[in-house]
Amino acid sequence: MGALSLGNIGKEYGEARAVDGITLDFPEGQLTALLGPSGCGKTTLLRMIAGLEVPTRGTITMGGRDITRVPAHKRKFGMVFQSFALFPHLSVRDNVAYALTIAGTPRGEAAARADRLLDLVQLAGLGERRIGQLSGGQRQRVAIARALAQEPDVFLLDEPMSALDAKLREEMQVELRLLQQRLGVTTIVVTHDQREAMTMADRIIVMSRGKVEQEGTPQEIYHWPATGFVAGFIGRANFMDGIARDGRIMVGEIALSLPQAARFLDGSPVQLACRPEAIRMGEGGAGANRVQGRVTFVRDLGPVRDFHLETVLGKLVVEHGSDQSTSPKIGETVHLTLPPEALRIYPRLPPQDLSGGVPSALAAE
Amino acid sequence: MLRRLGQLYMSLAAVVVALPVVIVCSAALNGGRTMYFPPENPTLDRFGEFFVSEPVWTQALGNSVIVALGAATLAVLLAWPIAYALWKTGARQSAMLAALGSIPFALPPIVFGVGLGFFWAFLGGLGSIWAGIVSHAVLFLALPLVTISIGLQAIDRAHLDAAATMGATEALTFRTIVLPQTLPYTISGFFFALVLSFNEFIVMFFVSASAFATVTLQIFNSLRNGYTPTMAVAAVAFIAVSVVVFSAVARWGDLPRLMGADQSRS
Amino acid sequence: MTVVGHIRPAADDAPPRPERAALRWRALGLAITLLLWTVVLVLCLVPLALVLVISVGQKVEGAGWEWGFTAENYIRFLVGAQWPAETTFLYLTQLYWSMRYAVVASVIAVVTALPFTYLMTRQSRRAQALWLVFLLATLSLSEVFIVMGWDIILSNNSGLPMLFAASGLTDWLKATGWFDVLRDWGLANPRNVKFKTSEFATVLTMSYLVWPYAVILLYPALSRLDPSLAEAARTMGARPWTVARTVILPAVRLPLLGAVLLLFVFLLGGYVAVTVFADPAKHTTAVSVYEHVRGSTLNAPFGAAQSVILLVTAAVFLVIGHRLSRTSRGGG
Repeated sequence: MGALSLGNIGKEYGEARAVDGITLDFPEGQLTALLGPSGCGKTTLLRMIAGLEVPTRGTITMGGRDITRVPAHKRKFGMVFQSFALFPHLSVRDNVAYALTIAGTPRGEAAARADRLLDLVQLAGLGERRIGQLSGGQRQRVAIARALAQEPDVFLLDEPMSALDAKLREEMQVELRLLQQRLGVTTIVVTHDQREAMTMADRIIVMSRGKVEQEGTPQEIYHWPATGFVAGFIGRANFMDGIARDGRIMVGEIALSLPQAARFLDGSPVQLACRPEAIRMGEGGAGANRVQGRVTFVRDLGPVRDFHLETVLGKLVVEHGSDQSTSPKIGETVHLTLPPEALRIYPRLPPQDLSGGVPSALAAE
Repeated sequence: MLRRLGQLYMSLAAVVVALPVVIVCSAALNGGRTMYFPPENPTLDRFGEFFVSEPVWTQALGNSVIVALGAATLAVLLAWPIAYALWKTGARQSAMLAALGSIPFALPPIVFGVGLGFFWAFLGGLGSIWAGIVSHAVLFLALPLVTISIGLQAIDRAHLDAAATMGATEALTFRTIVLPQTLPYTISGFFFALVLSFNEFIVMFFVSASAFATVTLQIFNSLRNGYTPTMAVAAVAFIAVSVVVFSAVARWGDLPRLMGADQSRS
Repeated sequence: MTVVGHIRPAADDAPPRPERAALRWRALGLAITLLLWTVVLVLCLVPLALVLVISVGQKVEGAGWEWGFTAENYIRFLVGAQWPAETTFLYLTQLYWSMRYAVVASVIAVVTALPFTYLMTRQSRRAQALWLVFLLATLSLSEVFIVMGWDIILSNNSGLPMLFAASGLTDWLKATGWFDVLRDWGLANPRNVKFKTSEFATVLTMSYLVWPYAVILLYPALSRLDPSLAEAARTMGARPWTVARTVILPAVRLPLLGAVLLLFVFLLGGYVAVTVFADPAKHTTAVSVYEHVRGSTLNAPFGAAQSVILLVTAAVFLVIGHRLSRTSRGGG
């Protein structure tokens, strides 16, 4: 065993680049989430790790051994598929015991191991059932048990929750994370759902257009998004276009101050991002970055309220706890504060290249 | 009103379709040597003649069974690798092979029969039961080819990936996933070929060169001498086989799907 | 916080190592492929090639035939054996009857099968499966049994004519004058109605023969027809007949044409129904093929030539159908 590493992995389908030169390490025993919108190459990357696709370039190593061209059936990586891919012609127990049976494990022993695994995923006693008799959640548990049966070196999951309804999904995320920590197996989960990634992962890798945008813990990714793409994809953000001038950022006629502004040369175009919950709303206090805004819409979400505002900086969304006393009505004008430490700044890219290529100024940070 | 009209139309169609079959079947009960409808002196003696006592018929029945079983088996064995290659690679040459294999079924049977007659005369197989088996296998190759292809297309490709990640080689995947999942379709293809071979006669007529006779050939040959109730017994037997076989296909396979029904509705 | 995207030194892209087992599989695959090609080519194409070759061969009196390269057989088909001294269109007339029976029977079968199939696809899956069992059982039933059944039904001594006479229907027909009309159509003798030997009986049996095929051919298209299409038309105020004309028919126009063509090709070679039910003057090319290859007038090359003509006729109709479907697809 040992750590799994990718070295400059790429996959092209004709002209299309599905995965574009990715280098990553997956530390042993950790759960890593590959997060990105559909078509970002995350599933292709996972399938190359599983050995189901051959990369057009780069290497995959496992504990220092090159496994780039080792076929899937020789890798001993367990995988859970989006559709679960349970075999309808086999019983639940035979599905779980599949890897053991074809490896030549005696029937009795394989069945006993399968039953222990079913116990582990809380499906004890369902071994005789047909796949068609199971609910969506039960199917997922069977798929997990089946992938774990061969005691895999790496455990791979491709959008494992997408076939479940919303409530069940959250329960399963917690349960899967607990199971993974108990077994200590190196795990990679592909998902497009940031909540799912944040619930389960030690580390999140955000991908876009075949490249890695950012790699970090859930907290790092949320609070310090490395690119505008990440800021927009993970959680919500208010974006403002501006230009650096005299150590401050001009958004229209308004000058905003923030610590990192000084790093940008005068006149360089930048993009500012600010989380809706980071903007303060109300009369109180003086200080930098204060603007006025008129409320155009209030979205009541129960625990929180979203205020849609028209300001000189453009349209902004501000999130406030619904228990707070100040609750302006539509049409009222309010004072807003954008705390300098809550503002994130990115170099603004020419409109035609939104690929999120990492600018060197920021990579050095 | 319109609903009623529809039901009436369907019932009428069912009656017309069933009519000649029912009449032939009831004619099997005739006591005498002539076909009457309604039957005179109803008796089951003719069944004994057909299945047991008359060598002409028992031999023909034996030949029919041998040819049908042999041809259906051979057709399935030929169809499997062609369908599998087509599904696995999707290559142009596999598609061509499949198209070629379906030609005999699409032609007017008499033309292919004449051709096979010449063909076996050249090879010296004319009149041998082996030639009959091979001829029918080729004629009905299209049927298992289609059903097995439908079955293969029904396999979720993720199942193959799943098997691979669990350590299955391609050969093992084939044995443990592909074969069992397509078994109903293979059996359906086998049965389709079996039943049609059982009932086919014009190709067999040219290939057998009167050296042996199947049941349908025997009836065909004595068409001009008039019918006897024993022939009707043969019809009863054949209908029974068809109904049993297709019921089995409907029970264990997905008949509407095999016939091309949409999967999303049920 | 680290941002990834930098490039490590590229690792060497070694070509895959050929493994012995993989090579063995490939060799086996190749062998099977070759074997299949041989079997399919030899068994599917060689018989047809032989028909083609023998059709330009020559008959040898009393000994069968020998290789040759002559258009004699085709000329005989077109204008008769004694041409140019004497011209007969006997064989062309037979081809005409082949096409006439096949066209009429296949059109009747498809037209009557269409509403039936539509109604069937609106039923439950289980009911559909039952209908399919019933249809497949009759479909697979040998032509000889079907002809036998209709022969009994239509025969003068025990079938429908008996029923007509016994029930008084014959007298009623005579009283209303319809009997004379039937006589004009050749469906009655002076005393009673008669259906054997007639074009009516031939076409009836032939369309019966292919009717289950017609249902099976139309079934996929009709079962995929989205029921909400018809419902949408209904909500917009279309009457049932208008729905059928404007929604259902256009959607199945191509499968309809395809079904007629396939059944036509199948019926071109129909044999038993014609020999039993048709007047000898109205016999078909298929009957003549049979007579020349295995029947009383042994002349294999001429039989082969007629088979080729049948094939060409089938091909011509298929090509026309293909053209029609293409233009209607482009226009519609």
